[in-house]
Amino acid sequence: MMQWSSFVQKAQSLIDPANFTLPTLTASDHNPSKASLFRQQFRLPDSQNPLQEITAELILPIAHTSSSASPGDQLRNLDRAGNRYAGRLHLSERFISFTTQPTSFATSATHSTSTHWAGQTNGTGPFGNGFTIPLCCIRRVERLNSLSHVFSLALTTWNGALGKQQNPGFIPQRFTIQLVGSRQACERFCDGLKKGLRECMKEIENLRVVVNDCYSEYLLSGAKSKAQDGDNVEVRQPPDAGLGMIFRYPGDARKLRDRSKMRLWGEYFRENGRNTTLIRQPTFHKLIRVGLPNRLRGEVWELSSGSLYLRLRSPNLYTETLSKFSGRESLAIDEIEKDLNRSLPEYAGFQSEEGIGRLRRVLTAYSWTNAEIGYCQAMNIVVAALLIYMSEAQAFFLLSVLCDRLLPGYYSTTMYGTLLDQKVFESLVEKTMPVLWDHLTKSDVQLSVVSLPWFLSLYINSMPLVFAFRVLDVFFLEGPKVLFQVGLAILRINGEELLDIQDDGSFISVLKSYFSRLDESAHPRSENPKLRAITRFQELMVVAFKEFSGITHQTITEQREKHKDAVLESIESFAKRTSIRNLGPDSKKLSMDDLGVIYDRFYEVLYEHQQMERLLDEEKKRQEKKRIERTSILGPPVDREVGRVGLGPSPTHMDYNAFRDFLAATAKWAVGDALGSSRKESTTEQNLSSSRGFGKSLTWNNKSEAADHEFMQRLFRNWATEPSEGLSLQNVVNGLARLKGPRDIMNNINYFFDLYDDHGNGTVDREGILSMSEALLFLSRRGFDGAITPTQLLEEAGERDRFEQDKLSTDERFLGSVSSFIRRCFEYADPSNPEGKPTTKYKDTDTTEATEKLDAFSIGDDDDDDDDDDDEDLIDVGDKPKPEPSSLKKQDSDTQHNRSTSESANPALDPNNPLHITLPTFRMVILADELLEQFFDTFFPQSFRLSDQSHPAARLSSLSSNLTTFSNINAAKPHLIAASGATVAGASGGIVPPGRGLRGVLDNIVSDGIRMAAEVKKRMDEAQRELERNALIRPQEDDEEDDEEDYDPRSGTSVAPAIVGGISSWGAGAYGADPERRSVRETDRDLLEGAEVVSIHRKDDPSLLDGKDGHPHSAAEGSGSSYPRQQQGQRSSQRMSDSHNDGHVVSKVEFES
Amino acid sequence: MSESTSTNTPKPSSSVKLVLLGEAAVGKSSLVLRFVNNDFQENKEPTIGAAFLTQKCSLPTRTIKFEIWDTAGQERFASLAPMYYRNAQAALVVYDVTKPSSLTKAKHWVAELQRQASPGIVIALVGNKLDLTNDGSEASGEPQVDGDREPPATADEDDATGEHQEDHDATPGDARKVSTREAHSYAEEEGLLFFETSAKTGVNVVDVFTAIANAIPESSLKNGRGAGAGTGQTTLGGGRPAEDSRVNLGDRSTATAKEGCAC
Repeated sequence: MMQWSSFVQKAQSLIDPANFTLPTLTASDHNPSKASLFRQQFRLPDSQNPLQEITAELILPIAHTSSSASPGDQLRNLDRAGNRYAGRLHLSERFISFTTQPTSFATSATHSTSTHWAGQTNGTGPFGNGFTIPLCCIRRVERLNSLSHVFSLALTTWNGALGKQQNPGFIPQRFTIQLVGSRQACERFCDGLKKGLRECMKEIENLRVVVNDCYSEYLLSGAKSKAQDGDNVEVRQPPDAGLGMIFRYPGDARKLRDRSKMRLWGEYFRENGRNTTLIRQPTFHKLIRVGLPNRLRGEVWELSSGSLYLRLRSPNLYTETLSKFSGRESLAIDEIEKDLNRSLPEYAGFQSEEGIGRLRRVLTAYSWTNAEIGYCQAMNIVVAALLIYMSEAQAFFLLSVLCDRLLPGYYSTTMYGTLLDQKVFESLVEKTMPVLWDHLTKSDVQLSVVSLPWFLSLYINSMPLVFAFRVLDVFFLEGPKVLFQVGLAILRINGEELLDIQDDGSFISVLKSYFSRLDESAHPRSENPKLRAITRFQELMVVAFKEFSGITHQTITEQREKHKDAVLESIESFAKRTSIRNLGPDSKKLSMDDLGVIYDRFYEVLYEHQQMERLLDEEKKRQEKKRIERTSILGPPVDREVGRVGLGPSPTHMDYNAFRDFLAATAKWAVGDALGSSRKESTTEQNLSSSRGFGKSLTWNNKSEAADHEFMQRLFRNWATEPSEGLSLQNVVNGLARLKGPRDIMNNINYFFDLYDDHGNGTVDREGILSMSEALLFLSRRGFDGAITPTQLLEEAGERDRFEQDKLSTDERFLGSVSSFIRRCFEYADPSNPEGKPTTKYKDTDTTEATEKLDAFSIGDDDDDDDDDDDEDLIDVGDKPKPEPSSLKKQDSDTQHNRSTSESANPALDPNNPLHITLPTFRMVILADELLEQFFDTFFPQSFRLSDQSHPAARLSSLSSNLTTFSNINAAKPHLIAASGATVAGASGGIVPPGRGLRGVLDNIVSDGIRMAAEVKKRMDEAQRELERNALIRPQEDDEEDDEEDYDPRSGTSVAPAIVGGISSWGAGAYGADPERRSVRETDRDLLEGAEVVSIHRKDDPSLLDGKDGHPHSAAEGSGSSYPRQQQGQRSSQRMSDSHNDGHVVSKVEFES
Repeated sequence: MSESTSTNTPKPSSSVKLVLLGEAAVGKSSLVLRFVNNDFQENKEPTIGAAFLTQKCSLPTRTIKFEIWDTAGQERFASLAPMYYRNAQAALVVYDVTKPSSLTKAKHWVAELQRQASPGIVIALVGNKLDLTNDGSEASGEPQVDGDREPPATADEDDATGEHQEDHDATPGDARKVSTREAHSYAEEEGLLFFETSAKTGVNVVDVFTAIANAIPESSLKNGRGAGAGTGQTTLGGGRPAEDSRVNLGDRSTATAKEGCAC
């Protein structure tokens, strides 16, 4: 208690508000890569960032080796300096770490100083010597009175002091750190430390809980020896050190020299601290290399992997997770259940309900905390192995570190990490053992089919368990590179035999027999008894960590970076073709290319949105200026990559906003009216050459904003099976397949009608009719791309020049068509009253009549007298405010008469009379109008642009396309080619002269609507505004477009031949793109093979590691240098010249024995 | 099972790479285990990546050494599959006759193989767990699908048995969810060998492998070490009748099936 209060006092005295000039946390946020390097170096949780760092010297007290020394002696020893280590001291939010590795993670540090530690690790692993101590473990910090220019701090920790009763001769762990730096820098560091210490004080309770689970505490508390004495009443139960405590640990404890290892560790802990307060000295690494004692194995794994720090942060997460999700079901649980009985079945613990229960709970709890991974086969084996040595909670956190840090992407749904590391492994084999690699390649043996299980289950089901655990001991300390080193060593040791194999089968059996003889002597015939005592496994470790010491974390990182894209692409192309194939029968209506385009676009949009949401989220948090601790301490690292199908589970459903973007990428009309949309689209479409594959195919759309229109909402609702979930790929494909599949006007009309059939009863009411007309305008507002061409423009111009309609652009004429569409719909609508039966009958006759009637002037649309009558009716019915006179154009003036007659003919127009149209009526109305007919026949389905290949016109006239320079798009109806010029002119409708312009016509319609019903006004105005905005905002762009199309804006009409030129250029662009896309898919398909070819070609590279290894080790001619393969001929002498043992390792072996 | 049962005069031997694909828990590994060790285990270590086993299959004229890649069934392992079916000359696509979704998955695999695997790959569609259906439980030793006939080299000759199966479909207690006819007609469309098997009872298991061995075109065989190249070429046609009787033997019981495939 004294110490505690003195610490508080000390802390308070140290707090000086004037010194609060800490670098803000955001500074480190800007440098996520350094922060993550920092975390990797010290195996810290993701919440930690490098805040402070300073060069320092760690001065450890002289070890109190003899326990017989009096406490007074030991206290005196504390103040005498023992081992000194120069290195760097780092401070994060919750940790103080020291390492002898000269690393720096400060924002100012260069990348190389940050990654330097990952380079040559000299066998010490990324950990180096030093410590990583949670700040809550520090009991007291004293500034020592020393020479004025030396800034030294004495740290006292809670090591061993947390237990209830203390040993009489207890000596607190205390060591000294000398900061080396300017006074200012030292002060700054101390301030940071002060702040951290204050904030972490409250975590001491967690610390107590966590430390209590550590076997080392039990070991050092002396409870063990007391229990053996048997006379102590209060025998403390040993903490859970895994199933091994119940079912025995694998292997022969005697042979493993478990007891002496335990003694050595006990001694080390006494001298250097235990669990959270352990200081790493060279012995630590050696002790790990010779294999951990059974009961400490779990704890040291936990410590060296860093999972202990996660557990410290929230010690109850495991039990909380289990109870939170208790009773819930999931796919992962089903999968787990299938494998429970077959996880290390050879171990007795897993033939019992006890072991299986633990395994079930750990796997289940993890599947809930990391739903993205859920459960992957092989996790069961790994967890089963962990559970032999650690408690459930320990295994749970260690599994999390495994999945997220040590084996990134291994168990993800795409297993890209596994595949990537296989590629890396193959390339390392190629570099280090070119002869063997050549042989494997020639024999057509694929290395990864053999090595994949090594990595995926950490050698656990490849080697006998005792040996696999030895590999794990080093793996948790030194990281994934160990897996590679061991793998390479296995191949090297078996190199001679492997050079004889011819196929997969013999390859596997060579290795199988090797693994089964790991406990045999590596040199059975040697004269030297010491040599004879070396087992094959020891040989393996020596080769792995000496000969392949050149394989560092850095090597692995570089190689991963190098192969990543190829691996991801091959996964993605696999995922793509699989999911396209699985889309079901409807998708068959679309071509493979179309499906490919939909697939790419779908995920592109989804990932873009995901990205955007993340950014928005971050921005929000930043604005709130709240430092967010991650809600769950587990789960994927914050700075992990996302956004590729290959990286793991993808979002599967798009919401409406994403759907808008999808449509904008698909159809011109869905592109919003913001700056720079349609223009950009058409040009990039032409230069598509650079677009390749997934992820880049949509570049042309990147800058355009998606429109938002009721029609799009309707599409969304119509396509979605469950609108609240959003659209799946299947939904989108089905939706498009229905539209683009059957090239049938009736289908298209039905489709459109369905969109508006809100009640699913085959009717569309007044509202719906108005919405339909708006949609028609909306869809047409970017022009028709030549899909619609009024016939008379070409053929009958001059003959019928009533109302000068030949001079109207297609757009204008289409507006007219829409206007008459509304009119006719209302004219032929049925009243929706209950006594509607007679009316229906009436309607039938009426329909036929009407059809005949309409047929009569099917060419003339709205300019016909009769239609004008109807216009009149529309005007008449509504008693709403008059439209602005300016908006009444020529057509308006034609419609000033004959109100009364039609009023009676159209009772349906009375807003008080609910009415509806049916599908037959709708069809009739559409077919009655040439433009609308064309609209539904070609434009509507065509406007959804997929791969371009399936263009109906292209199909119809593939022959003629060879003969003309014109785009196939228009070739379908050759007589329309010239006329289509008008269409394109219409695309730039915004600049049609006002006198007879688009706006005029639109206004005309709008005013009709206004007078008819209030909603019409509202909505039409919107449409109008949109068009106006269109016209105003993008004049330059339109100009450019016009230039391209040889369109003369002054004339107000288009000159057909000139436009044809424009068309052809557009068409050429579109088609230029087409083969490109097709070839992209071709490469997709070949990716898998391609990747292999690439790696095979690379085999000629000079072998990097061979060169490196040759010198240092051949010099170290140790006592155990007679490897069997040395005697085995010249064949591989070149690559094996370096395979000598050296003295250091032998000493290690001796250490063990 | 040892190789000692093979005849004195060494027959030409060639190895065939065969890959097993199919949804998780349809019994891929069990099929292999039955074929290789004539054994059945309820709990086996799960397949990580893929398991590799070999088994020889003696035909009258030659010996086929199957190099069997038994792949993991869990969905996420699917992306590893290309690694295993690379260069495969034969594939066993397995589904569970009591689980319709597994046939769908099997169809996906067939499509994948047809498009991605080596051209000319021999694919057999196998509906496993026949023991859970009435056909399987009535007479465990007696194969229902192919009766006394030779296993079809291509699955185009089996309409009669298909009908036969249909009769049983409605019987209560029958866990069958995929009718023989449905799977058969699909196999026919795609030109696949088709069998219904039970790894548990051993029904038809050896027949599948024998049929595959017979269906591998002679030209695509790479000869095993020491075996004369192309010696078996002319005997294939003549081998058929003998094959017939041998297979019948194999059909009687699993014990004789062992002999059928002298390994």
